[in-house]
Parts: sequence; structure tokens; C-alpha cells
Amino acid sequence: MKTVIALIILVAILSVVISYLVREKRKGVQCVGCPHAAQCAKKSCCSGSSCCH
Amino acid sequence: MEQIMRLNEVMAGETHLVQDVKTDDEEMRAFLFRLGCYEGEPITLISKRKSGCVVAIKDGRYSLDNYLAEAIVV
Amino acid sequence: MRIAFAGNPNSGKTTMFNALTGRNEKVGNWAGVTVGRNEGPFKAEYGAENIAVDLPGAYSMSPFTPEEGITSSYIRDEHPDAIINIVDATNLSRSLFFTTQLLELGIPVVVALNKSDINDKENTKIDAEKLSTKLGCPVIKTVSTDDKNNGLADVAAAAISLMGKGQKAPYLQADIDLHDKAAVDAEDRKRYAFVNQIVKDVESREVKSSDTTVQDKIDNIVTNKFAGIIIFAAVMWAVFSISQTYVGPWVADYLVGWIESFKEWVAGQLENSPAILSALLADGIVGGVGAVVGFLPLVMVMYFLIALLEDCGYMARASVVLDPLFKRVGLSGKSVIPVVIGTGCGIPAIMACRTIRDERERRATAMLATFIPCGAKMPVIALFAGAFFAGAGWVTTLMYAMGLALILLGALLVSAVTGHKFRRSFFIIDLPKYKWPSLKRAFWSMMERAKAYIIKASTIILVCNCVVQIMQTFNWHFQVVEEGMESTSILATIASPFAVLMIPLGFGAWQLAAAAITGFIAKENVVGTIAVVFAITNFIDVDELAMTGGANAVAATMGLTSVTALAYLAFNLFTPPCFAAIGAMRSEMNHRGWLWSAIGLQFSTGYTVAFLIYQFGTLFTEGHFGTAFIPGLIAEAAMVLAIVLISKKIRADFDKKYELHNNVQAA
Repeated sequence: MKTVIALIILVAILSVVISYLVREKRKGVQCVGCPHAAQCAKKSCCSGSSCCH
Repeated sequence: MEQIMRLNEVMAGETHLVQDVKTDDEEMRAFLFRLGCYEGEPITLISKRKSGCVVAIKDGRYSLDNYLAEAIVV
Repeated sequence: MRIAFAGNPNSGKTTMFNALTGRNEKVGNWAGVTVGRNEGPFKAEYGAENIAVDLPGAYSMSPFTPEEGITSSYIRDEHPDAIINIVDATNLSRSLFFTTQLLELGIPVVVALNKSDINDKENTKIDAEKLSTKLGCPVIKTVSTDDKNNGLADVAAAAISLMGKGQKAPYLQADIDLHDKAAVDAEDRKRYAFVNQIVKDVESREVKSSDTTVQDKIDNIVTNKFAGIIIFAAVMWAVFSISQTYVGPWVADYLVGWIESFKEWVAGQLENSPAILSALLADGIVGGVGAVVGFLPLVMVMYFLIALLEDCGYMARASVVLDPLFKRVGLSGKSVIPVVIGTGCGIPAIMACRTIRDERERRATAMLATFIPCGAKMPVIALFAGAFFAGAGWVTTLMYAMGLALILLGALLVSAVTGHKFRRSFFIIDLPKYKWPSLKRAFWSMMERAKAYIIKASTIILVCNCVVQIMQTFNWHFQVVEEGMESTSILATIASPFAVLMIPLGFGAWQLAAAAITGFIAKENVVGTIAVVFAITNFIDVDELAMTGGANAVAATMGLTSVTALAYLAFNLFTPPCFAAIGAMRSEMNHRGWLWSAIGLQFSTGYTVAFLIYQFGTLFTEGHFGTAFIPGLIAEAAMVLAIVLISKKIRADFDKKYELHNNVQAA
């Protein structure tokens, strides 16, 4: 009985986590959970004197 | 004739009018201009260090290194 | 409807953006914090159908101003519906230059006279109504750091009500040839003259800015050549020791104790279930993630202290103090801020390099900034300091000092390889007024990072730990591995080839190689994997472990001595930090050659430092070199050869580009 519960919990945790990761990757987030992720994802390189080549 | 000095020769606490920015580096000149350091504007030397100085330009405080301080003529 | 936030650097745009949208974008009391653009809808009470766009600071939109590209192009190309011009009210004479340019665009502008509280304190009076009449737009006093009387609602309302209406300019630039530098210059001066007149009319000051103040006296001490560096070292030491030695572990003790008991409970519940289930849930998930989460208090305290440091205005002074040192290695004070940011996280540190004008310096700083240990590396340091050196503070200090030393040495190497640079770069930095750091904002900044840490731990690290646990439990025929036969597991067979490469470094065990490899996904994984592979969770209270397993059970389990532990620690700290950092480097470098050189440099550095520590450490403690000294030496020689070859190629390319008479005979 306990085995079944444990198995269900395990599968539940893994499916939630993996679906979260997949969703984030689709959004283009490189560093999951990182607060600067939004600035990372876009290829906005232009601000310094030598802009995108 | 008024004495021509570079900024790093000025005494701390003195205010002078900028006369020129002698440099080939256009970026430097443009940047200084945007902060308010150009001909005719006052600049105050707040303090001097071995490697640079702190100045007041238009209500702002900036730290300059010697390369900049030597280029500004007052 | 989009409303852009534009203004001078460090005027309070991002603080206002956060207040109006409820976001928590990074702020800091120095010019150059925001390097990209941030977008988000206004909070409901301000009008959620409108989107706020936070832009990096700019001093002007004139041509020949390369560093303000994002702001200038956004406003010109993407036509926001209104602009909120955040003006630093303590420096009206500089700020209005940009304001008058914004007013010429035909887009409605609302001027927010920010930092008005500082003006009130210093008795600087600005007649907002008069200014409004002269500029032809609303002028509202704001204090974006205040929670209640901040004027933000008025600003938002004013901006929204003006959307769609045009804007009359109080000053129009004459039609000149924008390619003619002299003409542009002359026009800019005229504009400044106009601004000067306005300021004379509307502003009255009690304290003249050319007067020396208490803050200047503090600056004198803090930027002094000797005292300044000591103060800097003391400040950084205080941040790290409070978080790692005093407050941090004190809280972490409780947390880890609780996690440990939970793990035993889970293991107990699953006693009669298949071992793999217990291994996954108890050791892998609770144990592995728990080991990482156990370090959360240390990381949180560090982020809190760093937030305080970033808020008070000291960062700019730190740059000034270290500028001479950095100039000696071919960088400048501009590179100091990315390095200090790097003590938090390497990704914003790499992005902060955008403010460095010189291309070579920018790229060099981007690839060296990650040598300073980041927040994710802290659990690794804490683990080894705790398990092998009784939590001694000097381990942490040593790692940070080494990080800084490697940055400086690395800069010299980059200078040497890319050839002598003839253009001197100048260093000028805005010195913001000191202020008491906001505890509240530091708290929220800390919570934001804590949330990120927990999310990372419960997702990536959790998955990695499960994968590692599975790979460790099964062999290639998917049979459970017997005790004593661990080296036949999937994990062992994959990690062993890499482990061979690490023998000259003193840690040729496959478990450690596996941990180091997982560390490239996230540095915290080193802790997680070690926890899973050696079935340990409590790294904080090592005394307890010592009681159960005899002196230094953790050390014994891992099969490491003090010397090899230090070498292994160095390896993990100074090799490329994580794929996310590599990704950030890729965007910054914008050049395949530099990117691969960066990765190569970081691998070589980690390898070399570990090699040196192990070999010479063993020589020092045991009187002979460690194992595989010669192979290691050969590997080092190969690295030196690679560097020399790259250097030759760069110089050859340079020559080819600038040589004049190739194959031409003299007359």
C-alpha cells in the first residue's frame, strides 16, 4: 500500500517538475528560476558601443 | 593673460571655467559634453588623488582618472 | 498602449517601474544597472491595460553617442504612446538636456521630478509649475522609493490621459546636417544654453554643489589608495563571513536537522518497498534536494547583504578604488562592478559588461567575471569548508581572493594574447549620493533570490538528482547494482573516463567526476550529486556526523584529504560555471572565437589551479608529488601550446590586415 502511494507521489512530483521545465524552455528561459531570465532570453545585445555584428 | 592649466594642476576646492578638452578621443569629448563639461561651463575640483580626482559638474559628482584630468584645460 | 520610462542613468526609472508594475527588476545605486529593456503591465490600480517599458539610462539622443543605442532606437522605432521622463531632481541642469530632446519627438511626455525627498532635505527648491509652463508638459514631484506619498499615481494618470495627444516642443533643434560633427556640437551647446536658462529660473539651492560636504570627506577616505582597498576587503570579508560563518549556518542548522529527520521518516515508510523507490524518494529527492536547500539560509543572508551594499552607493566608490589595480592588467574600474555583481550571480555580471565601452575590455571582463564565486557556488564552498576544514572562514576568503587574483591574471593573459593595445581607455564614473540602504528593498531582493533558488532546487536539481540516483542504482542491464559492485553502475561507467583525466588533480574517483559534471548544469548540483552518490545530507552540522562515524566521516566517505578537497573545490569553482552563464557569454561575445576561448580559458584555469594545489600541496604535506604528475604536466604543456598558437594566429591576422607591401618589390 505504501509502495503505491510512494509511487504515485514520485510520478506526480516528476510530472509537475518536468512539465514546468518544458514550459519554461518553450518560453525561451535559459536559467530556470533566475530573476534575470527575461533579459537573458532575448538576444538583445545592443547597448555597448559595438552593436551586433 | 590667464594662466592655462590642466585640471589635474588645479587646487582642491577651486572652481574654473572649462576652456578645452584636448584629446583625440571623440568618445571622451562627447561623453564629457553630455555630462556638462564643455567650453564655458564651470567645473569644481572637489578632491585629488594619486590616480585621479573627484569633480563637480552641474550638480553631479564624478570620479575622473588622470587620463581625463590631464585632457581638460581650464 | 505602451508607456516608456526614459531618463538619465541612476535616476530611479527601474524603482518607479517596479512600483508601478509590481515587478521586482534589479535596481542598484549606480549608473548602468539596467542594460536591457523590461516590459510589464501596470498594476490594476494604475491602469492594467497599459504596458510600462523600462529602458536603460541615457544622457542624450544626439548622434555620436554610442552607448545609448537601446533607448534611442526604442523611442524612435517603436513609437511608445507616451513617455515618462524620470528626472533626477538633484541634478536638473544635466537631466533637462535629455528632456528637451524627448519633448521634440511629438510624443506626450510627463516629467517626474524624482528623488524630491533629497531636494527637500537639502533645501533645494524647484518650482514645478513654472517648469511645467516652460517645458509645455506636466511636471510632477515624485519619490519612487517612498511607499505612500510618492506621486506615482499622478504620474501614471497624467501619462495615460495624454496618450494619443501630440506634444509641443519648447525648444526645437535647428535643421542641421546630422553627419556634421561640428554642427551637431554647436546645436547641442545651444540646447544646453536654453536648459541653463530654465534652471536658473526655476531652481534655487541652499547648498551649492561645488561645496565640499560630509559625503566628500567620506569619499576621500574610501577612495584613498591604501585605506580604500583595506576598506573594500573588509566590506567583502564582512559580507561573506556573516553569511557563511555566523548568521547563515546558525539558521541552516535547524533547517538541515529537520530535512534529515524527514528523509529518515520517508526511508522508514518505504522500508518494505522496492529499494529503488526508497532510493529515489528518500535519498534522491529529499536527500539530494534537501542537501542543497540546506544551504539556502547562507545564500539568503549573502544576497541580503549584497543588496544593502548595492543600495547605499558604495559600488561606485569601490570601482574608483580598484581602478588603478585593474588598469595595470589592461582593464579599468568599469570592470569592477560586474565582478562585484558576480558574487551574487554570474549571469547579471556578464550582462553588466555591456556598459564597458572598449570591446576587448568588455569581452575580457565577460569571460573573467565568473571566476569570482557566485551564490550558486557558495553551497559548494560551504560544504567543503565544513567537511574538511571545520567550517574555517579562511577557506571562503581564500576562494574569493583566488577568484580575484585569477581575474587579474586572466586579464594580463588576454592582453598578452590579443597583442598590445594602443588605445588607452578612460575611466569616469558618476558618484551617487550615499544613502541609508533600504532594509525593506534588500529583504524583497533576498526573497526574490530565495524563491529562484528554491525553484531551481525543486526543478533542475531534483531532476538531475533523480537521474543520477537511477544511473547509480542500475547497471547497463537494468539490474540493481549489488553492494560493493558500485563501479558497474551506469553512472560509474560514464564518469570513469572523465575521472581518468582528473587523476593528476588528485580526485580520480568516478563519484567526484560525476558530481563535477553535473555541476555544469547548475553548481548546486555538485552538492546534490555528492549527497546522492555518498548518501549524505547533513553537511552543515558535521560534528554530529563525526560522532556517528568517527573523525571526519564525510571526508573519509568521499576519499579526499584536505589537499585534494581544496583542489577539487578549486576545480569546481574556476571551470565554466553553468550552461546559463555560457549562454550569457555567447550573447555578450557575439563572436565564436572569443566564446570558445573563454570556455577554453575557464577549463584550463580550473584544471591548472587544481593541478597546482594538488601536486604542490602533496609535495608540501607529504614530501613528494602526487600521482600522475608527469601526465598532468603534459596536459599543462598542451594548454600553454594552445595559448601560444592562438596568440600567433591573432598577431598574424593583425599583420595581414595592416601590412602594406606584400610581394611588392622596391623600385
